[in-house]
Amino acid sequence: MTRDEIRDIIIEIIQDIDEEAEFDGLDADAPLRDQLDLDSMDFLDIVMELRKRYQITIPEEEYPELATLNSCVNYLEPKLQSVAVS
Amino acid sequence: MKSLEDYQLIIIGGGLSGLAAGIRTARFGQKVLILEQHHFPGGLNSFYYRQGHILETGLHAMTNFAEPSNRHAPLNRLFRQLKLSRKKFQTHEQIGSEIKFQTHGLRFNNDFSFLESEIEREFPGSLDHFRNLAMKVQEHDPFALSKWQSTREILSITLRNKVLEDMLLLPLMVYGNSEEHDMDFGQFVIMFRSIFLEGFFRPEGTIRDFLDMLVEQYKKYDGEIRFQTKVAKIVTHKDRIQGVLLESGEEISCRAVLSTVGIPGTAHLSDWPLELEAYSGKMSFMESISILPSSQRQSVRSDSTIIFYNNKDEFHYSCPDTAIDDSWGVICFPENFQALEEGDVFQVRVTNPANYEIWRQAGSTQYEQLKTESYTKSQQTVGKIIGNYWKGAVFQDSFTPTTIERYTAKAKGAVYGSPLKIKDGCTPWQNLFIAGTDQGYLGIIGSMLSGVTIVNQQLLQ
Ligand SMILES: Cc1cc2nc3c(=O)[nH]c(=O)nc-3n(C[C@H](O)[C@H](O)[C@H](O)COP(=O)(O)OP(=O)(O)OC[C@H]3O[C@@H](n4cnc5c(N)ncnc54)[C@H](O)[C@@H]3O)c2cc1C
Repeated sequence: MTRDEIRDIIIEIIQDIDEEAEFDGLDADAPLRDQLDLDSMDFLDIVMELRKRYQITIPEEEYPELATLNSCVNYLEPKLQSVAVS
Repeated sequence: MKSLEDYQLIIIGGGLSGLAAGIRTARFGQKVLILEQHHFPGGLNSFYYRQGHILETGLHAMTNFAEPSNRHAPLNRLFRQLKLSRKKFQTHEQIGSEIKFQTHGLRFNNDFSFLESEIEREFPGSLDHFRNLAMKVQEHDPFALSKWQSTREILSITLRNKVLEDMLLLPLMVYGNSEEHDMDFGQFVIMFRSIFLEGFFRPEGTIRDFLDMLVEQYKKYDGEIRFQTKVAKIVTHKDRIQGVLLESGEEISCRAVLSTVGIPGTAHLSDWPLELEAYSGKMSFMESISILPSSQRQSVRSDSTIIFYNNKDEFHYSCPDTAIDDSWGVICFPENFQALEEGDVFQVRVTNPANYEIWRQAGSTQYEQLKTESYTKSQQTVGKIIGNYWKGAVFQDSFTPTTIERYTAKAKGAVYGSPLKIKDGCTPWQNLFIAGTDQGYLGIIGSMLSGVTIVNQQLLQ
């Protein structure tokens, strides 16, 4: 998967978790938590959804890697390298 | 993920906590099976039909009202976690409720400042004390695992007014306290938030529609549910569970079991050596439902959604020495929510504390007589508050602590389960967990949050 594809997948997953989420004007380097008003339960959903779709496990101590949209992409890029977009 | 077991997770009990836990795990692709002993889902909170009327067994009101835009409110979190649309979920807020003591009355609705103004009116000088209490409630994290603290002690220091203390405790205890006399402060905080700060509502339709919505969501994620299927035993081997044995003799293997049948019920199924007396709740209730023709509306004083009454000088939350104690209780008008259409009948539901042992000992011969006596006693008392509603009733039915025990397997009909809870859901077996009433979150929304929380903490990682 390319960086852009990973980025789209993250957005798609968040959209799916929260029917109200607004992505216009999202700063890719600022915390998702603040901008989209996500809580720890929502983050768990992102992690579980990634696991269900791509069988990747993210240990709890690595959740901070998912803080911003860009850090998500950086963190997931090696893990999703060999995965094709379905 | 392939596994040798038949299921990744078996959930014992298709009540609200079991259904919520089921949706949550099935949503992420686990193979889940819910086993429910009855024909219907819902457990304590179900329904039945009599003379063409649907009678709801649990629902007076749901707690934790929140507008859909309030993302972090427990109700909306719960909906997100179950991937149910909160926007499509139509709610009706309460009209307003009332706490009625001999000397004082307080009304409240879903606007907290209204309760504050009522306190100012009835207890001049106490508003600041009440606000201090509300601040303590806001600051306290009830979900952090902390030691038991006496609510009575905190209230007497903060409020300095015994009548006000008793009045605030009545609704919070009767809707969610498994202990007699006092209450853990963490539980008080949960109840204070869910009733006074958030408030009462009911969903559009009946509890049946609500349960249908949950079962449908569960099945959408390929969750399986079997009704009329009673678990006879949880099969253990050393410190692990291997599966369950059904009453029919069938054995099903699984990687983990989530039990929603309470601590005593789970102990019974797993041969868990426990000092059972300590885990047996004493608080049970009798509830009577009356269906009245709408022509009677004028003669019944029913401008409230719920009336919490107490006719004694003090309020004692404890198991009575008699079959029921009619000196305090709850009167609920399930039609009195905002923007509900008036039907050609309406209901009055009355709940009084009841003594399980007396009902059990009555056996089949005296049971009906005791029921009639108790019901008559209760309706005389309630009649003095709302008018003689029972005259002209087209249908009446009551259920007692033994009915509750029979239909839900709650030991001794203790609606709120054990006074001792297992907050983290863990048992001596690595892969057996407790959710629902005996995990600690109570009520309809509470028990669903319990199912979701235990799944998140113990079964998804
Ligand atoms: C009269 C009354 C009024 C209430 N009013 C309200 C209200 O107005 N608002 C509110 O929020 N809450 C109310 N409640 C409380 C609320 O209904 C409960 O807190 C909640 O439903 C508890 O859910 P649960 O899943 O923990 O337990 P349960 O509903 O007890 O679920 C347990 C399930 O397990 C099943 N089971 C037991 N043993 C076995 C076995 N061996 N094998 C298979 N299945 C088994 C039972 O049949 C049951 O379906 C009321 C309760 C009562 C009794």
